[in-house]
Amino acid sequence: MTPDGSGKPLCGVITVKLGLVIDLDTCVGCHACAVACKEWNDGSPVSGPLSDYQPFGAEPSGVWFNRVRHYEVGDYPASKTINFPMSCMHCADADCVTVCPTGASYKREDGIVLVDQDKCMGCNLCAWACPYGARELDRSSGTMKKCTLCVDRINDERLPEEERQPACVLACPTHARFFGDFDDPDSQVSRLTAERGGFGLLPELGFAPVNRYLPPREPKPLTGLEDARSLLERGLASLASPLIRR
Amino acid sequence: MKPSLSIVFFTVSSGAGLGLLALIALVDVWPSRLLPSPAVARGIGLALGLIVAGLASSALHLARPSNAWRAFARFRSSWLSREAVFAAALIVVGLIYLALAIAAVEDALRVSVAVIACALSWTVLVCTAMIYASLKAIRQWHTHWTPLNYLLLAHWSGSVLLLGLARLFASDAAPFAWLAGGIGLTALLAKIGYWWAMNDASGLTLERAIGVREGVRPPGMTVAQARLLDVGHSHRTFLTDEFGFSLARRHATLWRVVAIALGFGLPAMWVVAPAGNGGLMFAAGLFCIMGLLAERWLFFAEARHTVRLYHGDAKT
Repeated sequence: MTPDGSGKPLCGVITVKLGLVIDLDTCVGCHACAVACKEWNDGSPVSGPLSDYQPFGAEPSGVWFNRVRHYEVGDYPASKTINFPMSCMHCADADCVTVCPTGASYKREDGIVLVDQDKCMGCNLCAWACPYGARELDRSSGTMKKCTLCVDRINDERLPEEERQPACVLACPTHARFFGDFDDPDSQVSRLTAERGGFGLLPELGFAPVNRYLPPREPKPLTGLEDARSLLERGLASLASPLIRR
Repeated sequence: MKPSLSIVFFTVSSGAGLGLLALIALVDVWPSRLLPSPAVARGIGLALGLIVAGLASSALHLARPSNAWRAFARFRSSWLSREAVFAAALIVVGLIYLALAIAAVEDALRVSVAVIACALSWTVLVCTAMIYASLKAIRQWHTHWTPLNYLLLAHWSGSVLLLGLARLFASDAAPFAWLAGGIGLTALLAKIGYWWAMNDASGLTLERAIGVREGVRPPGMTVAQARLLDVGHSHRTFLTDEFGFSLARRHATLWRVVAIALGFGLPAMWVVAPAGNGGLMFAAGLFCIMGLLAERWLFFAEARHTVRLYHGDAKT
């Protein structure tokens, strides 16, 4: 709804829908994004620290905003390994916000879903409402924690502009993560989504997740492979034969 | 879902109290006086005790109870907030009703308070049920059966307690036995209907969850089966603790038998018995609540959250 209630976009009104694009083609499943997320947000004033339970004990565990899982699709030999990072999808219709009784969970104008740590009573209902497992209760603080899209980085004007991105995006060594505004059709995330058939997870549940996943590319068929191989073999033979036959 | 005992006890205890309060209020405003005032007062007291015990238990579920007072804040969107608001209102109205019944006031005020108490009881019950039924991420809860079961089971346990009061205090307890029998049979059928409906093959799959249809698959294939290779964490996490609970099928059957035998079978035998003594009445109420605790435990244990797909479950 626009300020005049007409539903028509007003001149000068800018809507923003921030989110991530994750390229399943290039992700190698190294967990660097998850580790960078943990490192940055542990010191974040928004919802840090991300508590660890017995970090040097027998069963280390703790709060993470981003978790990478690995799947095999299809049966060997026609199978493919898919590395699958998941964090908050910053849903347009976020049920985690709707079910929250205290108002601790809220959605910002720019689309980021956050938890006000001072208001949360730790009832877990938002975690139950989220199909993506994006929310984790911190046993130390008794409050719910989740991906903030590094809200304390992306708007920090003291940082060089190219660093005003979520920690996971900056850390990715294969450039499989992109951050941007999905409401802007010319943004990198919008163009990538359009070009590569980017999709949101489980849209049938009706939460309108914002983050997009790019499916693996279909490999281009190699043309002239047989020619190349026979050329190479003949070349090698012509080089080797004078030596062998000497 | 992990069956959190504080929540299991809360829904069963408060449910019995709310069902009892609603039925007592209805009986109380009935044109012909079926229960004398002292019995009504005792019933209201018992109902409020069960409701408060349940609400206190629900607070144990909170990881930061010092913020519990904030739960009234989102009445317009959150069923949990609505439940908190209506439950608080119900306690106030219930105490007024209790005072009127103890004072044996017989006027329009008592009738109106009784009507409000009944309406509030039903509202709180619906709110509690909707907390679960509104969660789209949990197929076994996101169904019309959930509010139906919560309402009927609350009234069934309430009617067993009410029948106990009637056999102690009313001149004719037969109408109360018919009431309990009717509600009990309906509640049992609705619970079996829920179990039957949950057996269907619908639900989301791991392939659906990771987007095999959208292109996450080997080149050249249109369909493919997916399986978890590695879950990415070495030990339990919040997600595995909260959503990883699994119940073996044969255990589920055993729990269902226990829930039906204790929750319905034994109390029903007492309901149809021509008359019962005090000890039997106590046992019937206790068995009914124990059976419903098993039923509610199952309601949690058998619910499979969607995030389990990402942890490797083939379907929800």
